Amino acid sequence: MKDLKHLIFFENLLLEANNELIQKAQAEGSICVAYTCENTPEPLLNLPGCFSARLRAPRTGSLDISTYYMTSFLCEYSRALLERAIEGGYNFADAIITPDGCSMMNRCIENMELLKTLGKGKDKFFFEYMEIPMKADDNGLNLYVLQCKNHILKPLNEKYGIDVSDEAIRKAVADHNRICELIRAIGDFRKEDNPRITGYEFDVINLATYVAPKYLLLDKLEETLEELKTREPDEKSRFRARVLVAGSEVDDTDFIKLIEDAGAYVCADRFCYGSLPGRNPIILNDEEDALTQICRTYMNRGECPRFMNTDKMDHRRIYVDELAKEYKADGIIYQQMKFCDPWAYEKMMGSQILRNKYGYPVLAVDRPYSIGVSGQMTTRVQAFVESIEIKKIQRGDANG
Amino acid sequence: MAKEVGADRLGDFYKEGSLVRKRREWRGLADTMYDYSRWLKIMMTLGKFVMKPRNVKAMFRYRWMANYLAVPMMVDRHTQGLRGEYLRICHEEQDLVIDDVAKLLDSLFRGDRRIGNDKKFSDKVVLVDENEMTAVMMGFPTLKCLSRETPSTYVSVLLNQYAACHYIDVAQEFGLAGDVCPMPEAEAGVSIDDDAPVLGACAIQCNTTCDGSLLGNGVISQRLEKEDGIPVFQLAAPLRHREDDVQEYAAQEIRNAIAFIEKHTGVKWDWKAYFECAKRVNYATECRQEWLEMNRTPYPQVFGSNLALYTETNYMAICGRVAAFEKADRKITKLARQAYAKKKMAAKEYRHRAIVWGVQSHYYMDFLVWLLNCWGIVPLTDMLSMVSTKKLVTEDTPENREQAIYDMAWLTENMIMRNRTHGGYKVLLDELWEFVEMFNADMVILWEHMSCKALDGMHGLFEEKAREKGIPLVWVSHDLFDPRIISRQGVRDQINSFMHTVFNEEPIDPSLEVLPDEKSW
Amino acid sequence: MSLFLNIIKVVAIVIVALFALTFTVYFFNLDMKLTAAIYPWLNKQYDKVKRDQHL
Repeated sequence: MKDLKHLIFFENLLLEANNELIQKAQAEGSICVAYTCENTPEPLLNLPGCFSARLRAPRTGSLDISTYYMTSFLCEYSRALLERAIEGGYNFADAIITPDGCSMMNRCIENMELLKTLGKGKDKFFFEYMEIPMKADDNGLNLYVLQCKNHILKPLNEKYGIDVSDEAIRKAVADHNRICELIRAIGDFRKEDNPRITGYEFDVINLATYVAPKYLLLDKLEETLEELKTREPDEKSRFRARVLVAGSEVDDTDFIKLIEDAGAYVCADRFCYGSLPGRNPIILNDEEDALTQICRTYMNRGECPRFMNTDKMDHRRIYVDELAKEYKADGIIYQQMKFCDPWAYEKMMGSQILRNKYGYPVLAVDRPYSIGVSGQMTTRVQAFVESIEIKKIQRGDANG
Repeated sequence: MAKEVGADRLGDFYKEGSLVRKRREWRGLADTMYDYSRWLKIMMTLGKFVMKPRNVKAMFRYRWMANYLAVPMMVDRHTQGLRGEYLRICHEEQDLVIDDVAKLLDSLFRGDRRIGNDKKFSDKVVLVDENEMTAVMMGFPTLKCLSRETPSTYVSVLLNQYAACHYIDVAQEFGLAGDVCPMPEAEAGVSIDDDAPVLGACAIQCNTTCDGSLLGNGVISQRLEKEDGIPVFQLAAPLRHREDDVQEYAAQEIRNAIAFIEKHTGVKWDWKAYFECAKRVNYATECRQEWLEMNRTPYPQVFGSNLALYTETNYMAICGRVAAFEKADRKITKLARQAYAKKKMAAKEYRHRAIVWGVQSHYYMDFLVWLLNCWGIVPLTDMLSMVSTKKLVTEDTPENREQAIYDMAWLTENMIMRNRTHGGYKVLLDELWEFVEMFNADMVILWEHMSCKALDGMHGLFEEKAREKGIPLVWVSHDLFDPRIISRQGVRDQINSFMHTVFNEEPIDPSLEVLPDEKSW
Repeated sequence: MSLFLNIIKVVAIVIVALFALTFTVYFFNLDMKLTAAIYPWLNKQYDKVKRDQHL
């Protein structure tokens, strides 16, 4: 396939946490609100005058200092973020807002605060921690709304004078939805039998929308969508199987690349930082205030394993099954960042249930934060691809 | 063999490769006869338990039941070297806990569909987690609040250090990562291994204590709800429990949980019973505060495992619902006052006053006794004993009924351990140093439960603060339920080398420094 | 009277014998030594129990 015109631009945005678009937006006077957890409602961090940047630690090397502070038993994502913060890599942020999504993330941000790693020279800088619901119900919704008011809207308004009116929130949602629609449209090409976009390319584009100011990406995304409409896929696909990747935080595009290099096309991304359901538009009505509707959307669609009520737990597996069907996945890769407690359990449950109840071939793996070129992982994916092929032959699918 | 405290070489009772010890201690005539009489009482409790055929049947069905063979030894481990009031306090507590667990087991097997299958009884049972405040059951005196995990894993590991290993392995065979906390991992393993009694009208699970516990419950509820048809309510206690803006959410969770229980059992909430329990909770709090007050002086009385194990049981699992604990509180306080007035000491020498922080190794709960006997370190208090001291409303008025909902929510949020491991760094990190000062401690023993992410995440800052304050801090790593990762001797060695190299001291009882208890229960 | 004394004597002997027996068991930890012997046998028993092992 011909290279996508803006792929290198998007790739470059992922090379640094403080990427060129963040710098540009801040130079224009916008406030950068850093966040880490998918349960933080993004549109509220993208009100007029501010923009969100989900923290990553690209090109992570040694984790020595953060390992001293948090031991080697915490997940590498939380350690990589702390390490980068100690190195001064997040000093661009004007505020950081974090829910107690998991213990590790909470400790990571608390270490950042106690070690005074952020906000140097920024008088108005603030840390905010918020409680978010663990169940999807009315009580949870009330909590979510109150917490967003107290820990997002109030400090943004008081410290930076951000307009937090219903009107401003609705505008932020409209802008957010425009990005989501573009990502959805681009991502839909992955449903094709011989897709015109690779899973890696999509991952790069999607990830950029989390880490850079969205309004500055709009033109490039629109152009990319247009380009894809006429892009010709390779006559013969290099992929031997289609897989859905589910699981914990993945902001490492090399992981998706590794899977695809091993012969499995990543047709759907049901992981934290992925587009499913993270890039589903938020549908608002005019009857109810926007904040409540945003919180309800985040609460109801959240697939994070911290949600503990039975319906939500079941839905995590039902949703993977639905996506696998919609995106025509031959198999599922459940991945978990090593030392991630919530996904350690969900990986076990999901992989067993999807295999035994739904009948999918499932590969369950754990991985480091930054995978680079891992021979071990490549071998496991290759073996998985072969097992899918054998199953296809046994079913007689190989000859159509 | 001697009457005096510290006259025995306690290490000599151990035998290489044996599950049990060579013999019991001679503590002088009066104390030995007392200990013997309490041993007889325990044997009678156990005898009464095995008289029932259903309990014998259960003994052969559930793997974890074999650990209950070691009940007398658990008591012996905790009474090592104790004399006089300390021995009596320990027995008051341990014997009551044993009695309570025996009743719990008996009830579980009575309702268990595989064993007693008493359907009528089972319909009055509400299952709760092991790590869950039972505050929400304070107003249901006619219902049975039973935890399956308490006897299958929690108590089992107190009895036999290897009790959970089988279940940990089962969970890992099903693909669970080996780095999660082994407590919920073992609980999930019991469910996967089809080794949990099946009974109950409904179940209340809770997100206390941690991410692992929350997710482990998801494994258990899969079987409970989908196969056994037992409806489950997941009670979500807010993590940032010190914040005002989460309390209404917490209270509503309590209201919802009560409504759920009422719906599935047909039993109505009883305010009179609730306020009775609240009075007992307040009394337990008063007693605990008095003990802690004594522990601030040079003559601490209720400390170490006497404080830790009893507080865990009384505060969390009992929560004012069992009158016998109020009686025990009274007796313990009387004994403590008596010993305090006489300026008595539990060991022949007190060298250091320590605050024990973090989550203790469950397979080595008598480590606190060892600290005292081997090195003269007095564990004044521990993290799990520093729980809520808030007084609950006890008078039945319309306003108080509303306040009571918030009180139950507060208790649930402030369950042991999670009141420190969650809720921000202040409750874990900052308050430790306040307690060091308050108790005049000269050292901190910091348990590093290696798979407890909430604790590990503060590792470096604990060290930095200790350096800043000039307080010696010793890390003691362990893996809570799994002695295969760090053995009991491995735990002891961390203290031994610290005491030798940092304090340049020699043990009070050198026979305890290295013990051949690797195979022991 | 002598019958009464005899009963007392028998009761006393029984009590003393029971005390001697139980105290011996207690002091030499014979109860625990016995259960330690049973424990491995019980574990083998558990391996034979049929279980529906799954999530």
